[in-house]
Amino acid sequence: MKMRTDKKIIRMLVFFVLLLGGLTMVVPFLWMLSTSLKEANLVYQIPPQWIPKPADWKNYVELFTKTNILSGIGNSVIVSICVLSFGTFSTSLSAFAFAKLDVPCKNGLFLCVLSSMMVPFVVLLVPQYIIYTKIKWINTLLPLIVPASLGSVSMMFFLRQYMSGLPTELLEAAKIDGCGYFKIYCQIFLPLCKPALISNIIMVFMGTWNDYLGPMIFVNDSEKYTLQVVIKMLNSYHETQTDIPLVMAASLIAILPILILFIFCQKYFVDSMAITGLKG
Amino acid sequence: MLALWHPDDMCLRKKAAGYEKGMVIIMAKNSLKRKERRAGLLFVMPAMVQFVCFFLLPLCLCIFASMTDWNVLVKNKNFIGLQNVVELFRDSKFWIAVRNTVYMLLPIPFYMVLGLLFALACHKEIKGNKVFRVLYYLPYVSSIVALVLLWKWLFNSEFGLINQALGLFGIEGPNWLGDPVWTKRMIVIMIAWKMIGITSIYFLAALKNVPPVYYEAATIDGAGSVTQFFKITVPMITPIIFYLLCVNIIGSLQTFIEVDLFTTDGGRNYGVATVIYYIWQKAFNYSQMGYACAAALVFGVMILLVTLLQFKLSDKWVYEGE
Repeated sequence: MKMRTDKKIIRMLVFFVLLLGGLTMVVPFLWMLSTSLKEANLVYQIPPQWIPKPADWKNYVELFTKTNILSGIGNSVIVSICVLSFGTFSTSLSAFAFAKLDVPCKNGLFLCVLSSMMVPFVVLLVPQYIIYTKIKWINTLLPLIVPASLGSVSMMFFLRQYMSGLPTELLEAAKIDGCGYFKIYCQIFLPLCKPALISNIIMVFMGTWNDYLGPMIFVNDSEKYTLQVVIKMLNSYHETQTDIPLVMAASLIAILPILILFIFCQKYFVDSMAITGLKG
Repeated sequence: MLALWHPDDMCLRKKAAGYEKGMVIIMAKNSLKRKERRAGLLFVMPAMVQFVCFFLLPLCLCIFASMTDWNVLVKNKNFIGLQNVVELFRDSKFWIAVRNTVYMLLPIPFYMVLGLLFALACHKEIKGNKVFRVLYYLPYVSSIVALVLLWKWLFNSEFGLINQALGLFGIEGPNWLGDPVWTKRMIVIMIAWKMIGITSIYFLAALKNVPPVYYEAATIDGAGSVTQFFKITVPMITPIIFYLLCVNIIGSLQTFIEVDLFTTDGGRNYGVATVIYYIWQKAFNYSQMGYACAAALVFGVMILLVTLLQFKLSDKWVYEGE
C-alpha cells in the first residue's frame, strides 16, 4: 500500500513539473496574442494586462492595409508552392531510382549527393551569391525556388530508406507486365510512400515558410520580400519606436499557417521531425 | 542404332538450343537492363543537376576565390595564395567570434538533459502527456524571426514580462538586449527553450527500443529505479546521445540568425558575433568575397575536425549493441 501512494505522489510531482514546463512553452505565445490585441499605449502598462480590455483588432487591419505584409504572404506562398510541388516530385523520383533501379555507378553518385550534406552552408553561401549575381537572379525569387525544386538531400535519403523497405517483387511484377518505369514510380511506389511523403511535404513546407537566411541574403527588393523578411523589417524600420502590438500581430500571422498544420497533422510532424529535425 | 542415336549428339543439340534460348533471354535482359539504367539515370538527373550546379560549382568557386583578393567593388582580382588565411588568423575580431561561437555550445547540455527528462516522463505515460507534447514542440515549429521578435519584447528591459516577473522577486532584471553578455545568455536560454521538445522526440524513440527484459531482470535482482536508469537506460541510449551531440554541436557552431536579429553589428565590442556572422559581414557588408570564402573554408575544416574528434572519442563510451 505504501509503495502505491509513493508512486502516486511521484506521478503527481512529475505532472506538475511537466505542467510548469508546458506553461513556459506556451505562455510566451499567449503573451504574443494578448499584446497583438492591445492599443499601443496599453502595452507599457505596469502591471501588465493579460486580457486586453477592450480587445482591439485595429492592429490587424492596419497590418493588412498599411504594410506590405500581403505581398510578403504572396511571395512566401509562391515560393512554397513551387518548392513543394517540384521539390517533392524530384526528391521522390531520385529516391525511387536510388532505392529500386539499376543506375550506373549508383553508390558513387549516392555518396556524392550525401557528401553535400557534410559541408556547412556558409561555405556555399558566398559563391552562390556570386553565381546568382552573374546570372541576374539576385532580387528575384529564383534562388529560393530553383535549387530547392531540384530536391532536398536529407529528404531524398529518408525517402530512399523508406522505399528500400518496400518489396522489390512489385517492381519485377510490373516490369513483366510491361509497365514503364515512370508509371511504376507514380502508380505503384508513390502511393505506397504516402505517409513518408506527407512527412516530407510538411517538413519542406516548414523549412521553406520559416526560411529567413536565403530571402535575407538573395532578395533586397521590398516587393520581393518573403513574409519572414517583411516582419523583420517591420521591427527594424522603427527601431527607436517599434509599434510592438503591430509587430506581435505580424509575428502571429507568420506562425499561424504552420501552427494550424501542426495541430492537425501532429503525427506526421513528429515522424518527420524525428527523421530530419535539428537543422535549426 | 547406337551410331544413329548418339547421346552426345542429342546432348549437344539440346545444349545448342538452350544456348540460343539463353542468348535471347540475355539479349532481352540486356535491353531491359539498358532501359532500366537509362530510366534510372534520368530519374536521378534532378539530384545530379542540383549537386553539380548548387554544390560542386559553388564549392570549387569558393576554393578558387579563397586564394584571391576578390572584392566586388574592385574590378581586378589577384592571386594571393594563403594570404587571406594569414590575415584571418591575425584578426582579433575573428578570435572574439570564435570564442562567442564556442559559447553557443552552452545550451546543448541543458536541453539534452531536460529533453531526456521530458522523454522519460512521456515514456511513463503521465496523464496528459499527449497535450504536453504538443506544447513542447510548439517553439520548434515556429518561425525564428517571429520567436526573436517575441523574445525582444519579452526581454525588454523596462516593460518586458521577464524583468517584471524578476521584479516581483525583488531582483532587478539585467539589460538583456543592451549588454552583450546578457544578450548571449538570452540566446542560450532561447535555444534551450526551443530545442527541448525536438530533443525529447529522439530520446522517446530510443527509450521505446530498450528491451523491457533488462528492467525485469534488474528488478528481480533488486536494483532500484535510479540504479536501473544509470546502469541500463543511459548505456542503452548512448548511440542516440552521441548522434544528438554530433548534430547539435555542428548546428550550434553555425549559430547566425539569432545574432543577426538580436543585435546590430554583432553587439557592443563585437560581444555577440559568431564566426558565421563574421563571415557574413565580411562578404555582404564589406564585399570582401575572397576573404569571406577563405574564412568559410577554414571554419568548415574546423567543424570537420571537431566532428572527427567526436567520432574518435565515441568508441570509449557509445554502446554498439551485442
